[in-house]
Amino acid sequence: MPGRGRCPDCGSTELVEDSHYSQSQLVCSDCGCVVTEGVLTTTFSDEGNLREVTYSRSTGENEQISRSQQRGLRRVRDLCRVLQLPPTFEDTAVAYYQQAYRHSGIRAARLQKKEVLVGCCVLITCRQHNWPLTMGAICTLLYADLDVFSSIYMQIVKLLGLDVPSLCLAELVKTYCSSFKLFQASPSVPAKYVEDKEKMLSRTLQLVELANETWLVTGRHPLPVITAATFLAWQSLQPADRLSCSLARFCKLANVDLPYPASSRLQELLAVLLRMAEQLAWLRVLRLDKQSVVKHIGDLLQHRHSLVRLAFRDGTAEVETRGKEPPAWGQGQREGEVGNNSLGLPQGKRPASPALLLPPCMLKPPKRICPAPPVSTVTGDENISDSEIEQYLRTPQEVRDFQRAQAARQAATSVPNPP
Amino acid sequence: MDQNNSLPPYAQGLASPQGAMTPGIPIFSPMMPYGTGLTPQPIQNTNSLSILEEQQRQQQQQQQQQQQQQQQQQQQQQQQQQAVAAAAVQQSTSQQTTQGTSGQAPQLFHSQTLTTAPLPGTTPLYPSPVTPMTPITPATPASESSGIVPQLQNIVSTVNLGCKLDLKTIALRARNAEYNPKRFAAVIMRIREPRTTALIFSSGKMVCTGAKSEEQSRLAARKYARVVQKLGFPAKFLDFKIQNMVGSCDVKFPIRLEGLVLTHQQFSSYEPELFPGLIYRMIKPRIVLLIFVSGKVVLTGAKVRAEIYEAFENIYPILKGFRKTT
Repeated sequence: MPGRGRCPDCGSTELVEDSHYSQSQLVCSDCGCVVTEGVLTTTFSDEGNLREVTYSRSTGENEQISRSQQRGLRRVRDLCRVLQLPPTFEDTAVAYYQQAYRHSGIRAARLQKKEVLVGCCVLITCRQHNWPLTMGAICTLLYADLDVFSSIYMQIVKLLGLDVPSLCLAELVKTYCSSFKLFQASPSVPAKYVEDKEKMLSRTLQLVELANETWLVTGRHPLPVITAATFLAWQSLQPADRLSCSLARFCKLANVDLPYPASSRLQELLAVLLRMAEQLAWLRVLRLDKQSVVKHIGDLLQHRHSLVRLAFRDGTAEVETRGKEPPAWGQGQREGEVGNNSLGLPQGKRPASPALLLPPCMLKPPKRICPAPPVSTVTGDENISDSEIEQYLRTPQEVRDFQRAQAARQAATSVPNPP
Repeated sequence: MDQNNSLPPYAQGLASPQGAMTPGIPIFSPMMPYGTGLTPQPIQNTNSLSILEEQQRQQQQQQQQQQQQQQQQQQQQQQQQQAVAAAAVQQSTSQQTTQGTSGQAPQLFHSQTLTTAPLPGTTPLYPSPVTPMTPITPATPASESSGIVPQLQNIVSTVNLGCKLDLKTIALRARNAEYNPKRFAAVIMRIREPRTTALIFSSGKMVCTGAKSEEQSRLAARKYARVVQKLGFPAKFLDFKIQNMVGSCDVKFPIRLEGLVLTHQQFSSYEPELFPGLIYRMIKPRIVLLIFVSGKVVLTGAKVRAEIYEAFENIYPILKGFRKTT
């Protein structure tokens, strides 16, 4: 550097300011000779001028990624790899985590929350690519509570202003069904229980669609419905051997957890199938019950669209149409049946009048009748009588009794083992 | 949170910046004149005051309808000035069809129509209606007034008693108080009429919950203040304010929540894995609605009763749109 002097050893003018740790030095860049040195230690007065700045107030956290964020990003990548997600998902999830980390509320959150945030970012990424990952699965992987997860998930979706599509039911069916260990014989799975994957998948899909159409899926957790549908599909493909197997046993030998609501979903689905079966003449005479209808699920699914239309009437317009005649085709069928009755069929063998197509919660009778609230004439400024207030105050005698009781209790608890 | 500024470019398409909500907001207002069943607010409209007092106990629903429409008209007069002619036509047709349902009301209705409809400058104005996200068009028939009144279930209010309180004394000398400082730093007091609960803090501030109407909440808060007074504290009754109102009602038909979340995704959040209902965050008025498959609707977040009614009248046509999708 011109004007800074020359190196005493080689005479070059290329002198560089280079610190050796905390000691500033002027060094010749040609021969390495140290021309001048700064002060190595600071004096007390010097140190008085140095003021320590906390990390959060410095610009350090903007310039470099903090250790906890690095850890979180590593966790996001690891989680994506564990779930065997496509590589593009990883980048998106990492971007969401970084975006979330820019908010001070997230930066200052507890470690537990940051852990769950990792799961939220991965879940949002999967949802946006229609990858069927359930919240239950993420919570199991993160060892997190579902309510903790849910609060952070809702918060982060709102914070980042994200548009998260719903869980794709068809994809979930495919993934979930494939996880059932029923496609190969094994010591725990006898040969008669082994099933072809494609057949089972297609039938399960049809059953889930049927459940969706008949209000069994809206508002409910999707997984138990799929479990029930898978069970019915599996049973119906070989009913002779499989009717004896219960839902719980089925899940056990398929090595899948049985979700608690699955049995009630199963009952609801069977009730829908029974109603549909009522509309087929050759099934009506068989007087099917919940066990025997399984044998005919194949037929019912083949004609499911028309059967649902026949078996159920629109429940959404129910108040006005309740008590109306069923449409002409229903009557025509009934007349046809009446004609057949002369052939010796027992009376009453007519298609059931269409049931209301409503969600199960609307079909159950209300638990308690809510009376109409009385019209209140309170103005808010009425006089408050003294006697009314007195009823809420203790008399002096009561106060004394209460204090005595409290003291006695204190004495009892402070002496755990009275002599 | 200035999250809009901090969005990286590649995430723009995925996130929905909230600023974009504003043009779409007033879409709900066109439904206003078609609505009925709105009870009057703390009365601002002197025209129908006398009729209001007469009919209040008898025909609440029809009464509320006129009140709300008048107020809506007056409020919106200062706002946008678009689609006046279309709006005026719709309004007059709506009022003509709905007048058949009310008893004494029709006379007042007519006069309102005549005075406001021909004046372009002052008619209630409907902002540019159609945005891609909502299926509502202004051509919805006017007879679709809901006729359902949401019932108020809970009112939360706060008041300042204006003096420091000794919670131990209150817990000792009041029969209806519980105080567990290790669990919560306030006295929990209950009275029987109106059936409410109050949280009384040592700073003198009090929260009153459980009332079914604004007046009941105020009366209850005054009773609590009187109890505290009788216990020997110089309690006053300052800054009484209703903080939250919760209402509920039933539309009586099932709702396809999956469909609703698809068409109104900017406002709705439906996660069946977490909660069976759909959470709809309406922007105008700022109310959160919980919509269930059975057709029951819970509305919360209101500071005044009219917000609940307005929110329900806004959501009812949307819900009806999902009625026959089986």
